[in-house]
Parts: sequence; structure tokens; C-alpha cells
Amino acid sequence: MLSRRAFIRNVSVAGSGLVLGFGLGASGDAGAEDLTPNAFLRITPDGEILLQVHKAEMGQGTLTGIVTIVAEELEVDPGTISWAFAPPATAFRDPEMRMQITGGSSSVRASYTMLRETGAAARHMLLAAASQRSGVASERLACRDGRVASADGSVDYSYAELASAAAKLRVPDSPALKSPADFSRIGHFDSRLDSPQKVNGGARYGIDATPEGVQVAVVVRPPVAQGEMTGYSADAAKAMPGVSAVVAIDSGVAVVASNYWRARKAAEKVELQWRASESALLDSKAIDAALAEALADGDFHEVRDDGDTPRAEVGRALEAEYSVPFLAHAAMEPLNCTVVPGDGSAEIWVGTQAPDLAAQFAARALGVDEDAITLHNQFLGGGFGRRLFPDNVFEAAQIARAINGPVKLVWSREDDTRHDYYRPPAKSRLRAQLDGARVASWDHRIASPSVLQSAIGGIAPDMAPAWVPDALIEFGASVIGNYDFLSVEGAKGLPYGFDHVRVSYSNVETPVRLGVWRSVGHSFTAFAVESFIDELAHAAGEDPLEFRRRHLPADGRHRQVLDAVAGLANWGNPPAGHFQGLAVHESFETVVAEVVEISMQGGLPKLENVYCAVHCGTVVNPDIVRAQMESGIVFGLTAALKGRIDFVDGAVQQGNFHDYQALRMNESPEITVAIVASDAPPTGVGEPGTPPAAPALGNAIFAATGKRLRELPFEPG
Amino acid sequence: MDSVTYELLLNGRSQSVTVEEDTPLLWVLRDILALTGTKFGCGVGLCGACTVHLDGTPMRSCVLPVSAVAGRAITTIEGLAQEGDHPLQSAWVAEGVPQCGYCQSGQIMTAAALLADKGQPSDRDIDEAMSGVICRCGTYGRIRRAIRRAAVDAWEPESDPDAEPAS
Repeated sequence: MLSRRAFIRNVSVAGSGLVLGFGLGASGDAGAEDLTPNAFLRITPDGEILLQVHKAEMGQGTLTGIVTIVAEELEVDPGTISWAFAPPATAFRDPEMRMQITGGSSSVRASYTMLRETGAAARHMLLAAASQRSGVASERLACRDGRVASADGSVDYSYAELASAAAKLRVPDSPALKSPADFSRIGHFDSRLDSPQKVNGGARYGIDATPEGVQVAVVVRPPVAQGEMTGYSADAAKAMPGVSAVVAIDSGVAVVASNYWRARKAAEKVELQWRASESALLDSKAIDAALAEALADGDFHEVRDDGDTPRAEVGRALEAEYSVPFLAHAAMEPLNCTVVPGDGSAEIWVGTQAPDLAAQFAARALGVDEDAITLHNQFLGGGFGRRLFPDNVFEAAQIARAINGPVKLVWSREDDTRHDYYRPPAKSRLRAQLDGARVASWDHRIASPSVLQSAIGGIAPDMAPAWVPDALIEFGASVIGNYDFLSVEGAKGLPYGFDHVRVSYSNVETPVRLGVWRSVGHSFTAFAVESFIDELAHAAGEDPLEFRRRHLPADGRHRQVLDAVAGLANWGNPPAGHFQGLAVHESFETVVAEVVEISMQGGLPKLENVYCAVHCGTVVNPDIVRAQMESGIVFGLTAALKGRIDFVDGAVQQGNFHDYQALRMNESPEITVAIVASDAPPTGVGEPGTPPAAPALGNAIFAATGKRLRELPFEPG
Repeated sequence: MDSVTYELLLNGRSQSVTVEEDTPLLWVLRDILALTGTKFGCGVGLCGACTVHLDGTPMRSCVLPVSAVAGRAITTIEGLAQEGDHPLQSAWVAEGVPQCGYCQSGQIMTAAALLADKGQPSDRDIDEAMSGVICRCGTYGRIRRAIRRAAVDAWEPESDPDAEPAS
């Protein structure tokens, strides 16, 4: 694996070529006079500061974070930096995942130092250029607000004046970084750079692309998972107004027309013949039974076994089983992709979490070289993991090839709900032995279809054996052969100091397409673990906060967030008629504690308040951290109260927001977030707010009703 | 079905389009007039992302046939304020509301109609007016604050929000 240091060097070497190759929007290609310390940053003699943003902006605020980090070291206001979403390129790959992926709440964590070095390299080059020009030692000069000046004012140049001279200097290998004590943007800049265009309709999402002469396509697919089209008739569809083509592609039949409405109406006239998969495990009930069977006597792979095995009969034995269903992502922007084919090339507009994977899929579908694909990544109208998988890009590229013209593919909400890469169902069986108030043993068995196996198995061999990066296949193979770390994350790392801890996993295979869903395995392991911890606390007759604290390291982050959230929520003393539930969970190296406070209205829980404390190391943008906690909490509570996808004979039963519901404003709680101050390296915030929400709510329902709900979505009353 | 030519009064300007009469206003705006600020979310009036004003009333443009809007005043997010400086737009920025931002045109258009109707909406008014518009990023708390901020600086709710639960 590349070290971060090696990463910036590679970027530097590749830098000028990339900027030359791709350019930066209207500003054109980099010239010899431009200061380009690496592929990310360019300062022109006109004074423009341009940054290639290598991560996808899907609401999590990474765009603002990335610009702010560079701005800090470059000594400019973040608002003065022009930015563009980076095209697919080796230089922009994630150093850990080795693909250009936005996921795993990793953007700021994995790019923080590299981005600081990028800004610092340019700063040192500008200082050196100013020193050369003025004859004043660079130690006596300082960068500030886009200028290099001496304290006495005798030297004072703008970055624009210095750019071409600085461009001729060597890029420093390891530029000195600012002391965090001197930060004035990181930890301080508190607004979002993309807000203005997101309140006036100006922000461009993939679905807004309108290249010259573009037609709109919709696809009619077999209504069941793994269904195979065997034929179709489209004469009636072709006769509808504005329809220019009806073409078969791998996933179904595409109807192409001059606008979406015409395409959608014509698509209703397409008659599709298809064959169902023969697998029995395309039905929620059958999968549920298989998971239950696996829990009872499955073949388990042990992923953790430490401490001393207790004598069999010590203390009191507790056992419980927790269960969660399939979930869809339901991002507000339905999937889409626009492709304009050229002569052995193509231009693509799409909002994607994996631009390089998208370009590879498009190249394969179009039969052109990957290098001949120009991909314009757009704002994402929600991602949550769904936009890592470029099945929409593959479809659009196949249609563009078939009609040999520009096309925008737009999925309906029903398409989006019924052809997702789903969060898998999962069952946990937890056993503990309670010796007085001491936990003598903890045994957590998880049965769930493997996300990793589905994702890699689905993408690698079927779609494109030739182009999938070797690293991905090797990575996948090594893990699948052993165990799926995604399915046990959050359970394996149990933070509590119990005498004996065992965690094991059993993969139950289903042909249903599975994907990563905001917080991935944590979305179900945290529910099981933090609910069962609550059960143990009550069984031990102890306050759930004190029970947790007693089993956690005294100086650890878990206790810090627990103490912070307890203060914030006035834990143990809720307002009259309110009931509190607590959960704490670490995911993506960030620790979050939440108190959910409910009242009971007509036998049903009403969300009143949620209190949250987060430890995510160094904070780049405090308000975005708070916003991501709020967002993750609402996402988790939505799943806990409403989220459920059912397969019946392979067909998803839900289709739109009436039967796959989202929490609405009148149902959502007031949320208060506290950030634990820290100067540790930054960790992720896009996902960690989600995992504690469901168990904290379940624990609150128990506090209110005495009923322990162990199945999601909750069906109280 | 034959195409018909309609005269639309869109964001204060007259605009003619020739489409089938059942074409929803949403697709006239997006696919024919390239006004893409109004968003497609569900297609059946469930999510509110496509909300526009028809004679000042918030309407779901995805289920509003073009034949029903001819000659009536249509306002989209692009036409809400000349410079994008409607008090709600400023409040949205100040409160850091947008995340992915996709639903926010619909949120703002819905809130603008609420404020035009009730200058100082109560928390219950806000919940009632806004609960039809889904935000998967969970920006609801910030939307509430932004509406209060835009309504008046010295916000005084009509009733104690804790006195009885909003339903």
C-alpha cells in the first residue's frame, strides 16, 4: 500500500500531464506559466486559484472541507478558490482503496495531510519566488490573504504576480506545515461553499445535464432480481409520439424519446417476456428462514475470541436475537446518466461516488478505450453508497451505442427502489453470562449475506474481467475466502472490557444484489450490540450509562462522548412524560453517543429530542460536523421506524415513498450536537451518526413501555 | 394524442410550448425549457421536490398537466427572486440548510408560499406546510430554523411548542 508520503510524490510526478490532459473547465489547460505543485492545484498568472476536488459531493460537505484544508495552508480565504470535480485519473485515487472512491467516511481522514501538503507546497514556492524577486530572505516574508509580504511592507506581491516565477521552482518534497495553533480556517470556517447555488436552483446534478440534441431514455426491466429478458414487443411503443428508438440492452428494453414523459408513456406499451431465476433465495421469507437456520446451526467463522472462557455455569445466562431487513438507499435524485458518444470516444455527465469505475463501465459498454472517456462528475442528489455502483452508467452507455447519439437515461422512483444494491438482512444471536454485575462472557453470532461477496462477485467477473483493477480482485478474493469484514464491523471491535468475547460470522448467500448502505455493517451490528448491552444493564439492575462507563477504558473516546451526551441530555432526568434511550458506537474511527428522547402518543413513540456527542479528532468545519450528525441520525431513525424492503418471488414489493417511507418534518426530532474537542487527526463524519440511532430509540421504547423490540423496523404497540 | 400549443406565464414572462396536453409541467420545465432547478423525485406527488407556485399556491409540478396551467402565473425556484436573494434563500445559507441540496428547491418554494400566507407561522404551521417535502439528508431542523429566521428577526411562536404535541 502506498504511504501518504509516496502518494503526494506520485501525484507531483503525474501532475502537469494530468492538468494538461484534462484542463479545468472554462479556464482551459494549464500553461507553463501556471504554478501547479501537483494535479490538484493550479495558480495562474491571472490570479486564479483552481482546485480539482477528487471526492464526490453528495451532501456530506467534503467539497467545502477539501477546499478549506488547502486554503488554510495556502493562506487564502476558501471562498477565493475556484474548484471543479476531478475527472477519473490515477492521481485522484484514494491511497487506501486504490480507486477513486468516495465512501467509508474516509475523504477528510485519508486526504487531510496530502491536501495540507498541496497547499503548503504552493505557499513555499510562492515565498521562494518572492524572495528571489525582492532579494529579501524568505524567513522575513509571510503569506497572507493571497499575497506575500514583509512585515515592514517593503515587499508586497500578489500570488498572481509570483505564479509564473514560482512555477519554475522545484516542488518541495515535504513542505513544512502550519502549526494547528495558527489555524484560522480549519476548525473555524463554518459555512458551506455550495450553499448559494443549492438555494437558487443553479447547482448541477447528473439529471440536469442537457447537451445539444440529447434524447431521454427509460428502461423497462424484468420485475424480479436476476430475471432474464427472453423477448419483447415494442410496436405499440414505437408508434407513440416523439419516440425515436426502442432498443434491447443487457438489463431490459430502452425506450428513447424527445422528453421523459413521452419515453415513460411509451415504455408502458412495451411488453416484456422474461424468465425468473431458479434460486429459492430471492424471497424475503426464505432468506429469513435461511438466516434463522444459519444462526441455529450454521458454519461460523470466528473473527474474535479473546479472554478466558468462563466455566459453563457461571452466573446468569442471557440470550437474545436481533433482526434487520433489506433496505434501499432512496436518494432523492433517481439514478441517471447522460452519454454523448463521439468517434471512438464519449463524454459523460453523471453524479458518481466512483468516477474511475464509471468510466471503465462506460468504456466497456461503448467499446472504446477508457482513456477516450471524458467524465464530468456532477453534484450527487444523495449517495449513501448507492452511487458507488455504476449500473446506470453501463445502461446509458449501451443505449448511446445502440442509437449512436446523445442520450440521458433517467430511472423512475420505482426503478430506483426496485433495482437497488440493497443493505442485506442480518440476524444476530447474542449470549452473555452475567456474574452479579460482571459480564463473564459475550458471544455474538451474525448471519447475513456478504455485501463484499455480492459487490465483488457482481462487478468483477460478470461485468468486465479485463479492466477491473487487479488490486480490487486480489483484495476481494483474499477477504471473501476468509470472512467479510463489512458484515462484522462494529461487532468485532466491541469496546467493552468483558472477561471473554467471542464474535463469529456466517455468510448466507443470496443472488439479490447487495451494496453498501450508509455505515454498512455498523447499521445492523450497532443495533444488536447496543440493544443487548441495554438488556444486560437492566438485568444487572444498573443504570445503562453507568453500566457502559464501568466497562469502558477510563480515558477513551467512548467515555468522553458518553459523558458529553449525558450532560447535554440531562441523562436520567428527562422532562415529564419523556423517556430516554442511550447508545454509543464507533465507526470509521469516529465515536458517537446518542440519547433519543421520546414521548408515547396513542401507544406509539414520538421522537422529541436527540442529543448527540461526537469525537472525530480535528474538526475541519464544525457546522458540517453537526449537520452530518443530524443527517445520520435522521437516516438511522427513518430506517428504525419505517425501513423495509420485501422480496416476494424475486420482486421487490415497495416502489415509491408511500410504501418505502422517509421520516418527514412533523415526525423528526429536535437534534442537539456536541463536538468533543480534540487535536488528534481527523476521522470521518458522513456515516457515524447513523449506527447509534436505532438502538438508542429501541432503548428509549423499552424505558417507556418495558417492551424490548428486537426487530427492525420497530412495530411498537 | 396530438400536441397542442400552450402559452405559459412563467416567472413573469410569456412562453409558448407545443406538447401533449397530459404532459406534466415538471417535464415541460426540465426537458423542453431547460429550467432544471425544479427537481424530479417521485413522479406521483409524494415527495415535493418538484414544487412550484401556481398563482402563488404551492403545487406538485410532476402531477400537474400543462393543460391546467396555461394562462396562470407559474413561478419556479429560478423566478422566486431576481438575484436569488429571497429572505428564505438568505436564511437557508445562513442556517447551513442544504446538504445534497436536491430537495431544497421544493423546500424553499413550499416555505415561500407559507410565508406569503402567514407572515409569522407557528411551529405547527411550519410542520403542516413542510411535512409534504421529503429530505433524505435530514435537514428538517435547519429548515425550521431558517423559516423562523426569515419570518422575522424577533420570532415569537404563537403557542408554546412544548405545550401540546404537533400531530
